[in-house]
Amino acid sequence: MREVAIKHRAMRINVFKVVLIFITSFITVLLVLAIAALFMVPDIKDVWESLKSDEMIYSLKLSLWTGFLSTVLVTIFSLPIGYSLSRFQFFGKGFIKTIIDLPVAFPELVLGLCLLLLFGNTFIGKIFDSLGFQFIFTKQGIVVAQFFTALPYASRIMKSTFDYVDPKMEFVSRSLGYSMFETFRNVSLPLARNGILAATVIAFARCIGTFGTVLILAGGTYMKTEVLPITLYLNISYGNMGMALTSGIVLMIVSFMAIYVFERTEAAL
Amino acid sequence: MSFLSVRDLHINLGEFYLNGVSFDLDRGDYLTVIGPTGSGKTILLESLIGFWTPDRGDIYLENQNITTELPEKRQIGIVYQDYALLPHFTVYQNIEYGLKKKNSHGMKEKIHEIATALSIDHLLHRKPTTLSGGEKQRVALARSLVVEPKMLLMDEPFSALDPQTRRDTRVLLKKVIQKHNTTVMHVTHDLIDAWVLANKVAIIRNGYLVQFGSLEDVFTRPQTSFIADFVGATLMEGTVYAHHDGVTVVNVNGVKMKTTDPGNTGDSVTLAVRPEDILISKEPWPLTSAQNHIYSTLSKITCEGRTSLLSLNAGETIFHAVITKNSLERLCLATGDKVYAIIKSANVRIVHSHLNSPRPFGSDRDGRDQVDG
Repeated sequence: MREVAIKHRAMRINVFKVVLIFITSFITVLLVLAIAALFMVPDIKDVWESLKSDEMIYSLKLSLWTGFLSTVLVTIFSLPIGYSLSRFQFFGKGFIKTIIDLPVAFPELVLGLCLLLLFGNTFIGKIFDSLGFQFIFTKQGIVVAQFFTALPYASRIMKSTFDYVDPKMEFVSRSLGYSMFETFRNVSLPLARNGILAATVIAFARCIGTFGTVLILAGGTYMKTEVLPITLYLNISYGNMGMALTSGIVLMIVSFMAIYVFERTEAAL
Repeated sequence: MSFLSVRDLHINLGEFYLNGVSFDLDRGDYLTVIGPTGSGKTILLESLIGFWTPDRGDIYLENQNITTELPEKRQIGIVYQDYALLPHFTVYQNIEYGLKKKNSHGMKEKIHEIATALSIDHLLHRKPTTLSGGEKQRVALARSLVVEPKMLLMDEPFSALDPQTRRDTRVLLKKVIQKHNTTVMHVTHDLIDAWVLANKVAIIRNGYLVQFGSLEDVFTRPQTSFIADFVGATLMEGTVYAHHDGVTVVNVNGVKMKTTDPGNTGDSVTLAVRPEDILISKEPWPLTSAQNHIYSTLSKITCEGRTSLLSLNAGETIFHAVITKNSLERLCLATGDKVYAIIKSANVRIVHSHLNSPRPFGSDRDGRDQVDG
């Protein structure tokens, strides 16, 4: 009787479910091992010495500063992009959405090349040049590279966030006498605050981690346009593993924090 | 000119559309808009409030053309089925929101007055997420009414409420609406909303306004079999057998039904009888003014709360009658019993089966003439 019951219970195990959970767990274990390797391999003394080095301090400061600036710009621009794509129907909306999303699928190097050509000898480059903005092989270029790399990610999150805000609340607000802008300020923006925070955090992580676009547009010049991913790249090339691993660890910690905040805010949406 | 005048309104939003909708409302009218899902009822509301710009047609409110006016300038309030309360505000702030924009004097008093009238004065400090459905709906009503809109639009405001809360909210709403003499347009699926609250009814189907008129008119004189069916009448196909002394006799599968509606001998017609217009007797009842005494078999009894729906078979004709539970017990009715269904000829209506396809309101005259003539 007991044997029959056990057999019965065994038959109820869903093979499909077990296989999916196994695949998920296997990949997770691999990722955890890879991340752990980054923390286990280097000597703690090497890491500490690298953190104190002029190059690392320069790189960290430049990364945080440019990352902060580009994140502010990304947030400012992705907010109206996300809202308009979520709320309005207009000619060419599908095309605009595709173009804004394009850098997500682009290799960063190609995006960097496109920006290099745009801000090179074209009339747009000359206009910015005359306004005092020079993006090629400069720190300003780092901000531009990070901005264009992170913008599509933030815009997507902003759009999804506003998709979740019930348009009926906006309708009611307008029926009570508030203009479209006042309604956006009083209703849509406060209700989207978690999503805006999530978009900002992801944008910051993306900006800090941008490599290919920065390398092509701003160049990877030692102690000039050297942000953390460039530090990692340069030091790998020199064979200086301590510096390379330290910049990797710093980037990983930033990503961890970003994903943690993103998950928390997404859960609160 | 009327308080609200909608003229030849056309809107095409792809899946949903309105085709040539025209009607008028006087100040203080309470209009319920009824129709199947996807018929265009909500679009009609949202175009009145200004969220959709019509492709054609005009909307006049107090003699002013507001067709292209911005929603914030129209002074028309809206209450949705899912309340659309602002979750980051308290109940007090939700009600205050519209008043703040108007810089209204005595805001506090106004808020407390409307909150008391709608029995939500004890909830003012709460956040909407902590309220029940009925409470949320009353807050939504208070928010719209406190700014004293020229008109209030409601999109199925009670459909998410349980029956008891729905009844209570209806009573409160009626009191407040009457006190403010607010003109209301109320989209609903629930015919009881129409019976309890409205003085006018509009039926919309596939984007067409198929009937508009007083409550009595629409419910007792449905102009198409679709409307009759929709408002709960039993439909019977038949042929006009004779017409004399102001009474038309229609042969419905061998049963002679008499109606005061005119008809031509030989015409195929559809008759509509409302279940509540049928009297049930176990004995013949000759001394009565009612002209239809139909001997039938009680085939089914469906109890619906305090009332019971009886299915009656007279030959091949099946029709329904509603009686109270009390009457059901008093008559000791059971399935299989032979009973007389007694119907006044004035309560048997000829509806126009050939008008089943939707037509714009206003062209019904032609259809009626074909049958009546």
